[in-house]
Amino acid sequence: MSGLVEARGLHVARGRREVLRGVDLALSAGEALALVGPNAAGKSTLVRALAGLLPATQGEVRLDGRPIGSWPRPLVARRVALVAADDEAPARLRVEDRVALGRYPHRGPLAAFTAEDRAAVARALRLTQIEHLARRALGTLSAGERQLALLARGLAQEPALLLLDEPAAHLDVRHQLHLFHVLDEVRRSGVAVLAVVHDLQRAAWAPRMALLDRGRIATEGPPAQVLESAAAAQAFGITIRGVTPGDGGERLWRFEER
Amino acid sequence: MSEPARRRLVFAVLAAALPLALLSALSLGSVPLSPLGVIGSAAARAGLGAPAPLGDVGEVILWSVRLPRVLIAALVGGGLAVVGASLQSLFRNPLADAGLLGVGPGAALGAVIAVNLGWAQERFLALPLSACAGALLALLLIYALAHAGGRPSLSGLLLTGLAVSAVAAAGTSVLLVATEEFRVRTVLFWLAGGLEGRGFEHAALAAAFVLPGVAALFLLSRPLDVLSLGEEEAAALSLPVHAVRIVVFGLCALVAGPVTAVAGSIPFVGLIAPHALRGLVGPLGRHLLPASFLAGAILVVVADLAARSFGQYVELPLGSVTAFVGAPYFVLALRGQEGRE
Repeated sequence: MSGLVEARGLHVARGRREVLRGVDLALSAGEALALVGPNAAGKSTLVRALAGLLPATQGEVRLDGRPIGSWPRPLVARRVALVAADDEAPARLRVEDRVALGRYPHRGPLAAFTAEDRAAVARALRLTQIEHLARRALGTLSAGERQLALLARGLAQEPALLLLDEPAAHLDVRHQLHLFHVLDEVRRSGVAVLAVVHDLQRAAWAPRMALLDRGRIATEGPPAQVLESAAAAQAFGITIRGVTPGDGGERLWRFEER
Repeated sequence: MSEPARRRLVFAVLAAALPLALLSALSLGSVPLSPLGVIGSAAARAGLGAPAPLGDVGEVILWSVRLPRVLIAALVGGGLAVVGASLQSLFRNPLADAGLLGVGPGAALGAVIAVNLGWAQERFLALPLSACAGALLALLLIYALAHAGGRPSLSGLLLTGLAVSAVAAAGTSVLLVATEEFRVRTVLFWLAGGLEGRGFEHAALAAAFVLPGVAALFLLSRPLDVLSLGEEEAAALSLPVHAVRIVVFGLCALVAGPVTAVAGSIPFVGLIAPHALRGLVGPLGRHLLPASFLAGAILVVVADLAARSFGQYVELPLGSVTAFVGAPYFVLALRGQEGRE
């Protein structure tokens, strides 16, 4: 299958510093990928470059086989949604209005919302299970609820590719489980999901994992293969040992200082 | 009460209060006119009922003195409130205001330059246009300075605004000293903010800038909403962030410049009206901007009525009236916001 989104030899600079130095990565529809790596490896930069927000200094990002820079911006935002960890929306904004702003790439500044837009907003609220919060102001929500409202805005864009930058950063364990459950449902509906995940154990949620180290993909593959690789140990500067629990559950990892 | 119901109620109240405020402002004054007479006179102009129900003097007072003044007050108030609400979305801070952001002082400096160089006397539009240019320059300067180190904090924004305002005010003073004496009185009068002696040509001037500027800002409601989510999220939603900001700045200057040229500096209107309404109609531009226009118009019409009703012989400067009311409100609002941060 040809990739929905593909980075080829991607170099991206922020200011004068070259953050990405030759990233090759491809993602197809309905696929989930966890992007892991130490601090300052370039994870956030890669996510933003894949969203077309940062220009490549060398190499390129292709969306549906075409260079992303050649796409009109609204068309990119209909195909790619970015959900970051920080929500800066006004505290008085209501959840459903916040989610409805995800329809901006489809409607632009003036066109009235159609039944299609309202249906997309309703679907996004249902999928994230925050329908009961629809009329609440963002300022009255917990961090976890706000994060779900932010995710719902991304889903209201009806993207083919959902990019998340540490979506679970401020969430307690219950909200984390809920969030990744929602992401599974999104993926099953045919959307490609790429999430930067800090918690390596949690990152094993995705069938595929990519390790970004110093601006390059050091290794990628199934979580166990990536986490137990020499590259991961070197990138994080720790020892990682995999354990399969006696009851045959999912594989767990132990992280130890060297 | 559900939010849509509350919003409808707020709009109904504002829509009823504006004609009431206009009627009161037209009726009350050193020569009181009966409100029924005012309505009758308006009906007569529209071809209904007996002509001139207020008598000759009353008709002149109503149509030549009070009406232009009241119309200007409504345009000035509505325009400043919409500018305030737009800048608050743009700076993502509910306490951003044209006055605090140096727009008023910038516009004043532009206007004084026009007077000093004699442009204002030569060409009718020179004064408002150079006020526009001054307002726009002040906004751009504050924006550039405050954003130099990333997203500005509230204090960073206010302090930058203060600095730019101080420079603009200093420039205004320097120019005043250098301006010929017979022109200085005009300028001083006008700097204090007020509507005394304003006629229909001023009302037409205000309307010609305020109405199109406000209409254009209404049309930018949704981009302003998207922008209020933060720069990155707005860009990811395909909003051309910088272009929208520049256009909004331009429109704010287009409204605030002539408003300052016609009425002088009228502080705090752009702060109070949107701030009070945000909790009632919500922060979305398509509700907040029209509601702010109505509330700002009511506020300044009433403030101007208060300014000219205060003493029998002396009129208070309109800008002082809004400052006396607005400054305490601002302090309370600031305390409220700091409590949340």
